[in-house]
Amino acid sequence: MSKSRKTHYHSTVSRRDFMKILGMGAFATAGGTLMNGPFKDLDEMMASPVADRKMPFWVKEVDEPTVKIDWDTMEVFPHLGNSLFNPNAWGGEAGVKEWMDIQQGNIDAVTESVRNNVPGQSLKDHALADAQCWGWGPTAVAPSWTGPDTEPNPMWEHPTMLWGPEHFGVPKYEGTPDENSRMVRVAGRILGAADMGFVKLDERTKKLLYGNIVFEDVEKGYDDPERHVSVLPNNKDLWVICAVIPQSLNEYGYRRSWANSNTAAYSRAAIYSNRIKTFLSGLGYQHYGGGTGSVGRAVGFGVMAGLAEYGRPGIMVSPQYGTNFRTVMLTVTDLPLAVTKPIDAGISNFCRTCQKCAEMCPSGAISTNKETQWADWADGEQPWQAKGLKGWYIDAKKCYGYMLGNEPDCNMCQTVCPFSKFDSAVMHDLVKMSISSTPVLNNTIRKLDDTFGYGKERGTDMWDVDPMDIPLWGLDTSRS
Amino acid sequence: MRYISWVWFWYVLLGFLLGGGAVYLWVTLREKAVNLVWYEWTLIVLGALIYILMGQTFIASFGEGQSQAAWMSLIFMGIPIILIVVGSLRLIKSRLAKQS
Repeated sequence: MSKSRKTHYHSTVSRRDFMKILGMGAFATAGGTLMNGPFKDLDEMMASPVADRKMPFWVKEVDEPTVKIDWDTMEVFPHLGNSLFNPNAWGGEAGVKEWMDIQQGNIDAVTESVRNNVPGQSLKDHALADAQCWGWGPTAVAPSWTGPDTEPNPMWEHPTMLWGPEHFGVPKYEGTPDENSRMVRVAGRILGAADMGFVKLDERTKKLLYGNIVFEDVEKGYDDPERHVSVLPNNKDLWVICAVIPQSLNEYGYRRSWANSNTAAYSRAAIYSNRIKTFLSGLGYQHYGGGTGSVGRAVGFGVMAGLAEYGRPGIMVSPQYGTNFRTVMLTVTDLPLAVTKPIDAGISNFCRTCQKCAEMCPSGAISTNKETQWADWADGEQPWQAKGLKGWYIDAKKCYGYMLGNEPDCNMCQTVCPFSKFDSAVMHDLVKMSISSTPVLNNTIRKLDDTFGYGKERGTDMWDVDPMDIPLWGLDTSRS
Repeated sequence: MRYISWVWFWYVLLGFLLGGGAVYLWVTLREKAVNLVWYEWTLIVLGALIYILMGQTFIASFGEGQSQAAWMSLIFMGIPIILIVVGSLRLIKSRLAKQS
């Protein structure tokens, strides 16, 4: 195997450390003490600023997202069966054959890479990605719609484990929506959510749920496999907890290891989902949702919750993570929560000028139109996309065919985005402030992003790095 | 996480250079009995801020595995620093020449 250049994992010195070292950071030191200080209990942690959602000052909360949505004509996306992962969604016999060809192309290309020991796509790289699949792929641990279906066991070492208010004989937890939001945010951080937002289900946002989710006049929702529907109670106010599931930017920058980073994030999403739902059960509240594709459109809810703006590649662009996070995990609950509003950090506007993802996309799937546009295809022509959004629609078949076809593995749109950066260099924040406040410089910023060499492939073999440079679990915690 | 990270060394060096420069400036001004006016102080502070930003970007970019960004930051911020230093010296000299 050829030896790749020496590669580096992310520095462990944060900006806070930098401020301390220069002796300039009285505030930083105080902040660091607060961040690291011990909390006696969850109440104390909730009362601290740690539990607040900290958005940089240049990110504004707005009433409507920065992408135009026509809620009157917004189509409900039926279910994940309509996505391109299902050959029947490709359209007729020819479509199924096209899908089968891509699958075969993937098998051929991956097999050839493994047999030729291609750096980044060798047997060990493949094995690592497969190992990270545990919890998400064929061994999915995602909870059922109303699960996880766990029961306390009096023979356990901790016999009250999984007890809820009904077991203890106490009323369910009560707090104001603000208190509940802070509590869930604290729990979410501990359980694996990098950031959280909350959307109330109303006549508009219900359209972001998948079409196989129906409302009925029942006290408690349920799953009905025979009717292929999941049921939510109609007589309750419901909120959607939207949790950012981060992924490793470092590992995502290497070739085959993007799959390792990607699958690891999905596995963590399944674990997070089990845990946050168990937390809600423990408080005495209902919760619905299982795997990443069980509730609704992640991008739609993520944008409405203010976790990100809608971006050119048709996915979310976050002020903190750029396009480099795996998903927004959705959990429906009747725990009253304080909704978070959409945000405007100038990101969608920057996407108009930047187009770096579109230029770097090897399949040419990302739109190069400067302006967003309403979906203009005939009804039923593209069942894998829903209308109602004025956006940049990608050519999903091109993307799918490339990503899963003859050129296995692609991560360009998530690694080249100028917002997908580590957080060590203060310069990144200054650039983001400029994008938010001075859009006239956007074109210059895009050019400088190229000049400074951002978005280049990081190498082909991550196995050369010092293992102690790899963050635990492979996740770059400095960004989360 | 590494058992020992040496990145701190570069930040300390950055701080020593900044502190050394400040001490040198203070001693020189006292020795030569020069009083700077507000716009000269402004230029010096501006130069120091750009120096800090350049140093931090240089060190952090290597930490991020972005060596090209590190070297480019030296060019894009180093040149303004040189211009500010040269400009400040010329301003001070011309002002002192007019006074004397």
